[in-house]
Amino acid sequence: MQARYSFFSLARNALGYHENWPEAWRSPEPKASYDVVVVGGGGHGLATAYYLAKEHGITNVAVIERGWLGGGNTGRNTTIVRSNYLWDESAALYEHALKLWEGLSQDLNYNVMFSQRGVMNLAHNQHDLRELQRRIHSNRLNGVDSEFLDARGVKEFCPIIDLRQGGRYPVLGASLQRRGGTARHDAVAWGYARGADARGVDIIQNCPVTGFRISNGRIQGVETGRGYIEAKKVAVVTAGHSSVMAGLAGFRLPVHSLPLQALVSEPVKPVIDCVVMSNAVHAYVSQSDKGELVIGAGVDKYVGYGQRGSLPVTEETLAAICELFPIFRRMRMLRQWGGIVDTCPDASPIISKTPVQGLYFNCGWGTGGFKATPGSGWVFAHTVANDNPHPLAAPFALDRFTSGYLIDEHGAAAVAH
Amino acid sequence: MRCDLAVIGAGPAGLAAATRAAEAGLAVELFDEQPAPGGQIYRAIETVPAPRRALLGPDYAAGAALAAAFRASGAGYRPGALVWNVDSQLNVDFSQDGRSRQCRARAVVVATGAIERPTPLPGWTLPGVTTAGALQILLKAQGLVPAEGVVLAGSGPLLLLLAEQLTRAGAAPRAIVETVPRGRLSAAARHLPAALRAPGYLAKGLAMLRALKRAGVPFHRGAEALAIEGADHAEALSFTAGGRRQRIESRLIALHQGVVPNQQMTRLLRCEHRWSDGQRCFLPVVDDWFESSVEKVFVAGDGAGIGGAKSAALRGRLAALGALRRLGAGEDKRLAGEAAALRGALDKDGAVRPLLEALYAPSAQILAPADDTLICRCEEVTAGALRKAVALGCPGPNQAKSFLRCGMGPCQGRLCGLAVSEVIAAERGEPQQTIDYYRIRPPLKPLPLAELAAFDVGDDAGDEAGDDQDAA
Repeated sequence: MQARYSFFSLARNALGYHENWPEAWRSPEPKASYDVVVVGGGGHGLATAYYLAKEHGITNVAVIERGWLGGGNTGRNTTIVRSNYLWDESAALYEHALKLWEGLSQDLNYNVMFSQRGVMNLAHNQHDLRELQRRIHSNRLNGVDSEFLDARGVKEFCPIIDLRQGGRYPVLGASLQRRGGTARHDAVAWGYARGADARGVDIIQNCPVTGFRISNGRIQGVETGRGYIEAKKVAVVTAGHSSVMAGLAGFRLPVHSLPLQALVSEPVKPVIDCVVMSNAVHAYVSQSDKGELVIGAGVDKYVGYGQRGSLPVTEETLAAICELFPIFRRMRMLRQWGGIVDTCPDASPIISKTPVQGLYFNCGWGTGGFKATPGSGWVFAHTVANDNPHPLAAPFALDRFTSGYLIDEHGAAAVAH
Repeated sequence: MRCDLAVIGAGPAGLAAATRAAEAGLAVELFDEQPAPGGQIYRAIETVPAPRRALLGPDYAAGAALAAAFRASGAGYRPGALVWNVDSQLNVDFSQDGRSRQCRARAVVVATGAIERPTPLPGWTLPGVTTAGALQILLKAQGLVPAEGVVLAGSGPLLLLLAEQLTRAGAAPRAIVETVPRGRLSAAARHLPAALRAPGYLAKGLAMLRALKRAGVPFHRGAEALAIEGADHAEALSFTAGGRRQRIESRLIALHQGVVPNQQMTRLLRCEHRWSDGQRCFLPVVDDWFESSVEKVFVAGDGAGIGGAKSAALRGRLAALGALRRLGAGEDKRLAGEAAALRGALDKDGAVRPLLEALYAPSAQILAPADDTLICRCEEVTAGALRKAVALGCPGPNQAKSFLRCGMGPCQGRLCGLAVSEVIAAERGEPQQTIDYYRIRPPLKPLPLAELAAFDVGDDAGDEAGDDQDAA
């Protein structure tokens, strides 16, 4: 049994120079058979396993990860958390996630450094302004906190923004979600991993899934780099590689995998204490605890799996950032990287049963999956445990692409898909 | 902006490659971070005053011919240009005069050479501690020598060469503390017959040792457990040799443990690398023409494995021939004939290497640093913290980034990469090849946001106009 992290355990370990902390999760050999195999050890997959164990009492579960925990999009995103989506279905899902975020560190007994510093979305023209106000009204009707700031309000909330209105991207106003903010991405993966492990879930890293065994339209198990593993149910949460996984299971998903990139600057003293996003220029910026500016850019215009992204996108984003924040102009960029985001035609996720019985997919989160991590795991665990969609997940089933009941969130997704 | 062949680095390999390719009629652009050709080995070769040139010796002076041939070759030259990214399409992104631009190349020669192997030992990050290479840069570029007696510590030919050059310049080191263990010489002796094939090297080495002895520079052999003492500044070097602890006071200590290929560019390009037990580092995999696993990317010079300045120039020419062959710019038969001659010379010149590698293999102390020694100096991560992360389940260098943030500072992992891979390999009991190395991200060196924002990718139609503006 794991030791609980507490003030006393901290004090006790301090006396031992922090040399004697137990390992946070085991590295077991895979068993021959599980009730549920979760494919993908990112935040969503680990959260799914955690809630399967905690909320549904299903503990004979394995999380199988090709690389290491949180090495995919979980460790590559810009860690923004918010719930100000336009449509009822999305607002309900993301707001459920945000409420879980608010108690997550306590629930997991692991500090995920959730910081509700406020997320501001800028409007640069009259159209942006109207669109933003429409979204604010919609958010409020759905019980999501959202408020409008005029230009002066923007300046008060984020004093380093340049409001001289002379440039290419004048700031006319913004929406603000005060409950939004950031969290430490690695800690989210680790916290869920530790919580799931404590409840008996096996976490198996460096183990690629290479195929599915299916007979009579029902899943039997998964072929992996460490042999065949039998499974009553298989839950696939592999983000950018979802369409590859679906291909292995013999069906197609309406997702495009695109490189999305981000970059960090050298660390500096605190200079920006909120998150600023601009949908129009595909730029978002916040400051990490270490002091680096974390800057997110748009997606590349072509399909790719390169986990790098192309420079013209960075250039365009930085041109806007430098104009909005002249104070950043002389800061140095330290590192740029990319992640593969799986995007759906309506910029909404897929949380769904599939044509194969006992095989479930959770994917298509596009550029905004991190913020949904707890909610995504919660509703997906329910869907897998009951073989029936959670009410919040039901609108996000695969059949919406045949029924036409799409949930168009291109506006709220902040980055064009 | 476009070119046939982009050469990155103006050391012997880059100069030779650019010269040979330009002579064959290719449009060549040579990018170099330094203001003048020569690289580290022939730094300031075009401007060095005669007395300093004499002091640095004939091996250094030999670089003048390479630089002159390059100047006469008609190859394009961009000094002071930092190449901060090369993508898989062979677009070379570089920063020059505060402006970033892109050059589209048909082939690339990476001639970014070697870096000194980082030497993590107690106190190595204190002010007053530097590397032998850094002191040699000051000597070559500005004719500066330490005012106070410097202590040189470590192993490798450069350590002795620098000692001799400083002695000749009237600034003899206070002491040389060599970490080559006793008995290493006899173990390395089996490579001696092969080494005799490479003319001159052994004689020069022995002459260097004699000169140092004549000058009376104290020489401590077989030193172990090196530590630099001092609170805010280096005050002394202490070590164990001959069974007793010794201490030499100095406020300037230069460390050296040989040189290793600078992998940043080839890793960025995702070239395949293999661990070399002999050189104790990763080497990019190259073929007979020094072409890497990435098509049309050639790696010449010490970047493809340490071979020294003469080998670097030969490899540079060979890589240029490979590029000519790849781009269909030469008759295959003639290229093959020229290449065969170069390979013969390369084989002969490289014959001394196994001896040097065996004799000057890095000391055990820096390969397995003590727990409290800093291993990543940018993020201040100790070897002990890394070992603990491995015990907690961290399986490799890229995961160590999220555990500890090592390798994520301004040096982009250049200084801690090898040591981090070694420590993880040792802790997990797996080969270095399996553990592998950091993934390297652009920019290779930090770049101002405003410069990136104004990054000029250029387009085909605007190319000429852009170049005209350059000229104006």
